[in-house]
Amino acid sequence: MARTEIRLAGSGGQGLILGMHILFRALGIEGKRAAQSQSYEPTSRGGFCYSDLVVSDDAAGYPLVTGLDMIAGLSQIGVDRSMAMAKAGSLVLIDERLVPRPPEGLHDLHILPITTRAIALGSARVANIVALGALARLSGVVSKDALMEAVRLETPKKFAELNLAALEEGFALQAGVVATEPA
Amino acid sequence: MTKTLTPVAGNHACALAAIAAGCRFFAGYPITPSSEIAEFMSRELPRVDGVFIQMEDEIASIAAIIGASLGGSKTMTATSGPGFSLMQENLGYAAMTETPCVIINVMRGGPSTGMPTRPAQGDIMQARWGSHGDHPIIVVAPASVQEIHSETIRAFNLAEEFRTPVVVLYDEIVAHLMEMVELPAAGTIKQVDRKWADAAQANYLPYAETPDLVPPMSRPGDGHRVHVTGLTHTPDGFPTQKPDLADRALMRILDKIEKNRGKIEKIEAIETDDADILIVAIGIVARAARSAVASLRSEGIKVGLLRPVTLWPFPEAAVRAAANNARVVLVPEMNTGQLNREVERLVDAPAKVAGLHRVDGEPIAPGEIAARIREMIAQ
Amino acid sequence: MNEIVRKDAVRPAFDIKDYLRLDLMPHFMCPGCGHGIALRALLWATHELGIEKNQLAVVSGIGCSGRVGAYIDANTYHTTHGRPLAFATGLKLARPDLKVIVITGDGDCLAIGGNHLIHACRRNLDITCLMLNNEVYGMTGGQVSPTTSVNRLTTTTPAGNCEPTFDACKLAEAAGASFVGREVTRQAPALKNLIRAAMEHDGFSFVEVMSDCTEIYGRKNDLGESPEMILSQKADMRPEAFGNVADQPFRPNRLVTGVLAKQERPEYGRTYRARAALERAKKGR
Repeated sequence: MARTEIRLAGSGGQGLILGMHILFRALGIEGKRAAQSQSYEPTSRGGFCYSDLVVSDDAAGYPLVTGLDMIAGLSQIGVDRSMAMAKAGSLVLIDERLVPRPPEGLHDLHILPITTRAIALGSARVANIVALGALARLSGVVSKDALMEAVRLETPKKFAELNLAALEEGFALQAGVVATEPA
Repeated sequence: MTKTLTPVAGNHACALAAIAAGCRFFAGYPITPSSEIAEFMSRELPRVDGVFIQMEDEIASIAAIIGASLGGSKTMTATSGPGFSLMQENLGYAAMTETPCVIINVMRGGPSTGMPTRPAQGDIMQARWGSHGDHPIIVVAPASVQEIHSETIRAFNLAEEFRTPVVVLYDEIVAHLMEMVELPAAGTIKQVDRKWADAAQANYLPYAETPDLVPPMSRPGDGHRVHVTGLTHTPDGFPTQKPDLADRALMRILDKIEKNRGKIEKIEAIETDDADILIVAIGIVARAARSAVASLRSEGIKVGLLRPVTLWPFPEAAVRAAANNARVVLVPEMNTGQLNREVERLVDAPAKVAGLHRVDGEPIAPGEIAARIREMIAQ
Repeated sequence: MNEIVRKDAVRPAFDIKDYLRLDLMPHFMCPGCGHGIALRALLWATHELGIEKNQLAVVSGIGCSGRVGAYIDANTYHTTHGRPLAFATGLKLARPDLKVIVITGDGDCLAIGGNHLIHACRRNLDITCLMLNNEVYGMTGGQVSPTTSVNRLTTTTPAGNCEPTFDACKLAEAAGASFVGREVTRQAPALKNLIRAAMEHDGFSFVEVMSDCTEIYGRKNDLGESPEMILSQKADMRPEAFGNVADQPFRPNRLVTGVLAKQERPEYGRTYRARAALERAKKGR
């Protein structure tokens, strides 16, 4: 597939790296090549954090992002610090509670109740997986089957059901709850 | 047969490769951004009857791996700039005593404590000249996770074949990058073992001037009861200060690398044959250059990339040939010009070599390289 | 009991020539230097314990002490300044079948190598460390060391040493060494017995050998020739058996000799391997 650059942006402790790793594994299951990188700072709680995925057939090419095609934002600082890297017209989906000030510019913007749904499922900690489901559905970058398989591979067994439910929730978010203006 | 791809991070690939190459002893000291290697080795080495030890500092770490290698094991340590600085004296000892070992240096921003979590390429010259005195060294510089795996294995094999320390040099980005890697099946990996002296051989000389310049090694217990010293020594292993013998001793260990360049050098050349503009780069910067070459070629600009995979000994003939055919040479690197000066030294007109440098802890992006080349053409 | 130490065979009487690289003679040590006595005591103990030369590894650092090991007809490693314990740690962990001896000096062991000493003591790997204490950096021409007595003249204390002096044995014991001892070169059989006990000990053993530097340190401080230095050294020492009696008639009584500390602690190499074997069994490998 054409080079595609994806970022999960938020704050330390939100499971962004794990979330992106699930997407990475899912793409691998589909036989696609990708490279995952992430912010690498001593901030496991709070502070700007991101994980990037560059999907490209050229495995030896530049593995870091140069212009983002997709961003899923789970904190204000995460979104604010990432938008400079976004291409015009990129897919941007943000959490309605954690990103109160949506980014400006010409983006395909979706404001979604990601954490609200995660909490309803029983844990705010699965917001990363809800976001991943929404991103997959809106972008079509990866199939739901591959993602579900990756969730099973990459998350502890005792949380598998919760994570799979979160993924379903993310896929369901696409219909109806899409906005282009702040709610 | 389809390839099986496994998602692996750079430091993880390094540790996996070390064990696959036969590493059975690791001593190290925690340091960002290399610590994952030690963590992996601490878990995996006991499972293959190997030994991991966390030493009290980096000086002790490299001392311990040299000691274990003298005992007969394949050994490795891993560190970053500050620790690599501390290792320099014993790195020279390994070179002088011709003790095989592998040192991983995951480069971070320097000097001093610098930027521990940011990438850099500031140790290119230190890896070559960091230890005092003229000493032989081999340095390999992988650019991807796949290559960290293959080059770590090659580092072990080179260390064994040439009885010398080998440094694997890569930066924080590749260390923590996760990529799909094709891991060779167990049993398909080429493992080189150092030449062992015949235990029955009388009059064995531990530093004999053999035709291939690499004397066979003896382990304690083999019966030769050799003496090993960092002092300049004669073929019997004992110290000398006689000018002719001292000269022969040092020149042999230097020639051991120099005259075996054919077996040690490794480069990747991309579109260099007709290149008017040549880029010379290593590591993550070379991957940015590769992407820049692709986009510039699509604009009809004749640009090529020469990437030293073996960094030291520097691939002088290959660089000289490609650079002298080109109109200009660009050397992008994450330092203020270490590789640049090495390239300048080899080019007939040094003025045509230009640098592109970053020391702000940020990688050099493909766009920066492409823009610089468009600028150079416009001039 | 250490498996490398074998007492079974009936051996001929000790002849130091059986353990030396005679082709390296004459040796480099100055007349009157105590290091030769320490070397002889080590080889004598090695002989009594029946340790095969092929299985003996002697690791040394830099300085006069560092050059002693080369004369031993065994596997000898002359490493870098202060680091012999670190090299020996790697060698012993990789090759538990070897009997590993470290020969170091007061500067090598306590100054540049002090960090390695305390961690070697703490780990308790089965290594015997002989620290030849001659109170001075002899090889470099007689500079002050961490064990130079107060007020002594050296080339870097021209007005007399005013730094306090390390007690290496107290340091080793505090750091956890499971065997600590000290002896003077004047008492050659006692020194041999102490080194032998250290080598028999299962774990890290530290022996401080009170050597003497006649040529540089003695001359600079007007301590007399070798016999005077060695005799005064003896007078300065107090056998451990007399540890609780009044100082009389022993003169200054600076340092106690004999076995100063001994405790049974798990040997590190075996502990590590046992744990690794347990892990392997758990994983079913």
